[in-house]
Amino acid sequence: MKQLNLKKLSIMPTVLAVSMLLAACSTTPMTTSMLDQTRSDFSAAQSNPSVAANAPVEFKAAADALDRANAAADKKESIEAIDKLAYLAKQKIAVAQEVAKRKQAESAVADAGRQRDEIRLQQRTQEADKAKVSAEQAKADADAARRQAEAATASAREEQSKSAALQQQLADLQAKQTDRGLVITLSDVLFNTDKADLSAEGMRTAQKMADVLLQEPQSAVLIEGFTDSTGSSAHNLELSQRRAESVRNALIGLGVKADKVATRGYGEAFPVASNGDAGSRQLNRRVEIVLSQNGAPIANRR
Amino acid sequence: MTTTLHRQLAMICGAAALLGLTACASNKTPATADVAVSRAAVANATSAGAAELAPAEMQSAREKMARANQALANKDYKTAQDLAAQAQADAQLAQSKANTSKATAAADELQQSIRTLREELNRNSTTTQ
Repeated sequence: MKQLNLKKLSIMPTVLAVSMLLAACSTTPMTTSMLDQTRSDFSAAQSNPSVAANAPVEFKAAADALDRANAAADKKESIEAIDKLAYLAKQKIAVAQEVAKRKQAESAVADAGRQRDEIRLQQRTQEADKAKVSAEQAKADADAARRQAEAATASAREEQSKSAALQQQLADLQAKQTDRGLVITLSDVLFNTDKADLSAEGMRTAQKMADVLLQEPQSAVLIEGFTDSTGSSAHNLELSQRRAESVRNALIGLGVKADKVATRGYGEAFPVASNGDAGSRQLNRRVEIVLSQNGAPIANRR
Repeated sequence: MTTTLHRQLAMICGAAALLGLTACASNKTPATADVAVSRAAVANATSAGAAELAPAEMQSAREKMARANQALANKDYKTAQDLAAQAQADAQLAQSKANTSKATAAADELQQSIRTLREELNRNSTTTQ
């Protein structure tokens, strides 16, 4: 009995220990908060396509580490043991995520390099295009300037030849330069005696005069008529006026604008010779045409 | 018969003792090796610039390294091994973070320069038109 009691007593701690162990086993959790966190990190990494693509080796290492932690949890090892393994797995998962991120950044760098090259190419193209456009513009400008210069030269040459022709025509008309302008004297022989009509010769002179006036659109003329002292002064005044009018009509008939031609009869005033003999009187019977050039007004005779 | 049994028992005991000794020896060696590997991992992370780029992980790795060394000195090989493994994991994460941060910075910088180039390009093309 005593022996039995002793035996019982010696068994008691063992039973206690076994029951405690069982209790410990039954209360040992299948997981820990660290393991839960690690599992959640793992499923995030698993659903990140970049991790699978860029960090397969690191992900495999993390998965293996998690398997070990899970196995420890399944075997109901101590929380401490599970957490140690879970921590290692957690860090490895983070490494996989970081590696994936780094590879993405590196491929962004490579891509950016390509983009930059592309933009630089576009810039070169743009610069070349711009240079081409400005070269074309410069050529066009030069062409225009050359054409302008040529035109100017041509018109200067034309002007020169026109003016030379005009000088020649004025010389033909025996024009005299005076301070009132160019003066062309149509002598008596260009009129029939005591008549205002122009003779054939007078008409030819009028034609030359009209040519000059048509070429010089800015010029105007004053036609002055004179007679000798023979006959009444009233008649002479009227005759001189009529002769001047006759020249005016001839010029208008030849295309000269009426407002450019003025007339004035002076009769026997302003003789150019003595009226003493027939020759002198003939010189006094005349029509003078004063040509104003460049639109300058013609001063009155004094 | 009994003598042979005794001899067999003695042999088993001896083998067990030997096994226990080797177990002890092999328990010491991996801990030392693990600490050395972790030290190398911390050094690598440091040279990758992890001290500035991943200071928290780096701090944790160094602290665990120090504690692993301490455990090694105290001949607590199990603890030394555990701490060395954790220090290594921390150091590797610190290094990865540092590398990621450098690559990201380079990518950002390039993106910025591309933006600038593109703006310049657009400005030039609008002035041409």
